Amino acid sequence: MGLVSDIERQLGALRAAEAADGRPEIRTSTMTHLVWCPPGWHTDARKTLAGLAERHPARTIILLPESGPRAEIVAHAELKVFRLPGLAHEVVSEVIEIRLRGDAAHHPGSVVAPLLVSGLPVFCRWRGELAAGGGELDEILGVADRLVVDSSEWSRVPAAYAALVPLFERSAISDIAFARTLPWRRRLAALWPQIGSVERLRVEGPRADAELLAGWLRSRLKREVSLTRRQAAAVESVRVDGQQVESPGALPGSSDLLSDELDRPGRDPVYEAAVRATGTVADAACHPG
Amino acid sequence: MQLARRPESCAIVIFGATGDLTRRKLIPALYSLAYRNLLPHHFAILGVAHTAQTSATFVATMKKAVKQHARDPFRQDVWDLLSEGMRYVETEFGNEDGNDRVAEALEEVDAEHGTAGNRLYYLAVPPKTFTDSVTEIGERRHREGWVRLIVEKPFGHDLASACALNDLLHHWFREDEIFRIDHYLGKETVQNMLALRFANGIFEPVWNRQFIDHVQITVAEAMGIEGRAGFYEPAGAIRDVFQNHLLQLLALTAMEPPIDFTADAVRTEKVKVLKSMHTPGPKSVVRGQYGAGFVEGLEVPSYREEDGVSPDSLTETYIAAKLYVDNWRWADTPFYVRAGKRLGRRETTIAIQFKQAPHPPFEAIAGDDLRPNVLLIQVQPDEGVSLAIGAKVPGAGMTIRTVHMDFLYGGSFRTQLPEAYERLILDCLLGDAALFTSEDEVEEQWKLVDSIVGGWARDRTNFPNYASGSPGPKAADDLIRRDARSWRRH
Ligand SMILES: NC(=O)c1ccc[n+]([C@@H]2O[C@H](COP(=O)([O-])OP(=O)(O)OC[C@H]3O[C@@H](n4cnc5c(N)ncnc54)[C@H](OP(=O)(O)O)[C@@H]3O)[C@@H](O)[C@H]2O)c1
Repeated sequence: MGLVSDIERQLGALRAAEAADGRPEIRTSTMTHLVWCPPGWHTDARKTLAGLAERHPARTIILLPESGPRAEIVAHAELKVFRLPGLAHEVVSEVIEIRLRGDAAHHPGSVVAPLLVSGLPVFCRWRGELAAGGGELDEILGVADRLVVDSSEWSRVPAAYAALVPLFERSAISDIAFARTLPWRRRLAALWPQIGSVERLRVEGPRADAELLAGWLRSRLKREVSLTRRQAAAVESVRVDGQQVESPGALPGSSDLLSDELDRPGRDPVYEAAVRATGTVADAACHPG
Repeated sequence: MQLARRPESCAIVIFGATGDLTRRKLIPALYSLAYRNLLPHHFAILGVAHTAQTSATFVATMKKAVKQHARDPFRQDVWDLLSEGMRYVETEFGNEDGNDRVAEALEEVDAEHGTAGNRLYYLAVPPKTFTDSVTEIGERRHREGWVRLIVEKPFGHDLASACALNDLLHHWFREDEIFRIDHYLGKETVQNMLALRFANGIFEPVWNRQFIDHVQITVAEAMGIEGRAGFYEPAGAIRDVFQNHLLQLLALTAMEPPIDFTADAVRTEKVKVLKSMHTPGPKSVVRGQYGAGFVEGLEVPSYREEDGVSPDSLTETYIAAKLYVDNWRWADTPFYVRAGKRLGRRETTIAIQFKQAPHPPFEAIAGDDLRPNVLLIQVQPDEGVSLAIGAKVPGAGMTIRTVHMDFLYGGSFRTQLPEAYERLILDCLLGDAALFTSEDEVEEQWKLVDSIVGGWARDRTNFPNYASGSPGPKAADDLIRRDARSWRRH
């Protein structure tokens, strides 16, 4: 059982070096922030975290599952210190990177449980496919208060939304892809009451964003709305019954989107309803079995 | 640590000097005291045990132990000071020749190191050798100066055996010469509980049933039994942790303000708490035993698969209980306590859960996230205190979120904090027993344990009933859920 004491030792040494004045330290964490980061996602995850800067002082634990013949866990801890103008104390965040090899990668819950900051909420940014999660996802849901996904990272949209619905009862879930559509949803909402009778939605943009926009519209209007789509890297254009909706302008970046999600406490019923109304989930609900 | 006075000259005699406790805790603690110049001007350390070895070998082994386990860096000058008067005597406890060898060595030490016949005996020995070692020391008692005796846990197995031990000790020693150790009481945060409660005007007025909804005390370990089946099988969680650490933490939380901080005053108040406790009914106690599972990412075996454990063992590795302290301050306020091995995280905490504000005007705005105030006293792994309060989120509107004010001692984790054993050995050198357990306390603790264990004989258990790495048995969740409350998750 060396992992936790190893990490404590690393953090202890770093903190001792930081607290040169010997004063007791006021820790500034507001949460434990987990990042589930399969191979291929590390650079993106690091970039997004750097963009969060001091906005969410946290103990961040980046879990890097890797395949390997035998179970092995290697941890590296660092402190991120932000000195802010007008503040007597600096804001200190802890970042712990843990490589989980072999069988250890299948039991992330047991690795993070001893490292959670007492009494603070746990957010997990789950990178990549959700379906591939299996037992790992189950363990993370056992410790996290909120799971943040980005369904545009999934290959099987909209089919994959069906797997998300049962998870709503276990944990609060939010989706960066849905958050990214907020400026467009505001534009669409501004078209009330005319939009109340709309039948067709056409989106130029990523599949996930388009499916969630359609699901949102259906769930708000409580009626069927058909979706057609043309691929684009971000949502560039939205039409309702052939009419162009005015563009909301530049969309927020990935760090800002994640930052907003980390500010939310409870469940998001609007998102849940939108997911339930995406094509496949709605179909499955209509034709059970 | 700062000293008002320096301990008087004495010889520190460790019975069981080749054991695990001496190597991992006692000698490293003595080194740290020497490092801070807190030991007496004249002192010597005498190691006593079974193994045949020379003093030189013993000193070399202890040097290695200091390098490996002490919290301070190794300094040759400090080590020279500590090891100068360090000797080893081989003996079989109860053997007269051996006894004579110890007595001779002590006389030589007095002559060479000016230790003035004063003795601090540390009994780091297995319980079965206790009678022999106490008798041996007792028989020498009249030839020595002051004598203090530190006695390790377990102190008995039940009320009858604890009373017998007390009788044995009192046959030779006065109560103020006996120091029954509970190393939890040596921890900074535990002592700070007293400071927090009685030195800060803000807490004491609300420290009662009117403002506190309930208290949760958790002593959770991630470790299994680490090869100590011989000790653990007959003991279980109730004797290993509940009887001593858990009940001590509860007594410190619930006690009335003592008149002063002398040993007598503090211990009298703690005994009053123990005396006011009801025996919990069978529905208020849950037992558990761990099955296989994963801890810190690695697969671990079930309790029954551990070396030396019977394959159908009924020993509990987990206990949870709802307890009441029946006095004016705490009537109807539940104390939920739990202790166990192979749980998902190692943590010792006392959580004081305050009642919800009566008509929270911000309830609707705050949503799920506005929880009642919680004062969390963390004993390990990182000692500190945090307070969860509702505060307004900066910006427009009146959004309230729970914010934690979090205070860790010493600016770092354990590296900067004195080890519990340092504090306790130093207190004993100074003759201050406030942080040690009194005869009455031990007996009250065992009374409660006996009454709980008595009910178990009739009960059927279905072990194992929790997976290693999990938060504990489901029945423990049910215990607290019945009262529409829940255990703190982490
Ligand atoms: N280890 C811990 O962390 C810990 C924590 C809390 C409480 N305790 C308590 O502290 C006490 C000691 O624990 P430990 O873990 O250090 O035990 P240990 O490793 O088994 O050591 C026992 C010591 O006692 C000596 N001994 C045993 N029988 C003897 C005899 N008949 N004559 C002379 N010497 C004898 C042994 O000498 P040889 O090895 O030379 O035979 C050894 O030095 C126990 O009561 C335990 O419950 C220990």
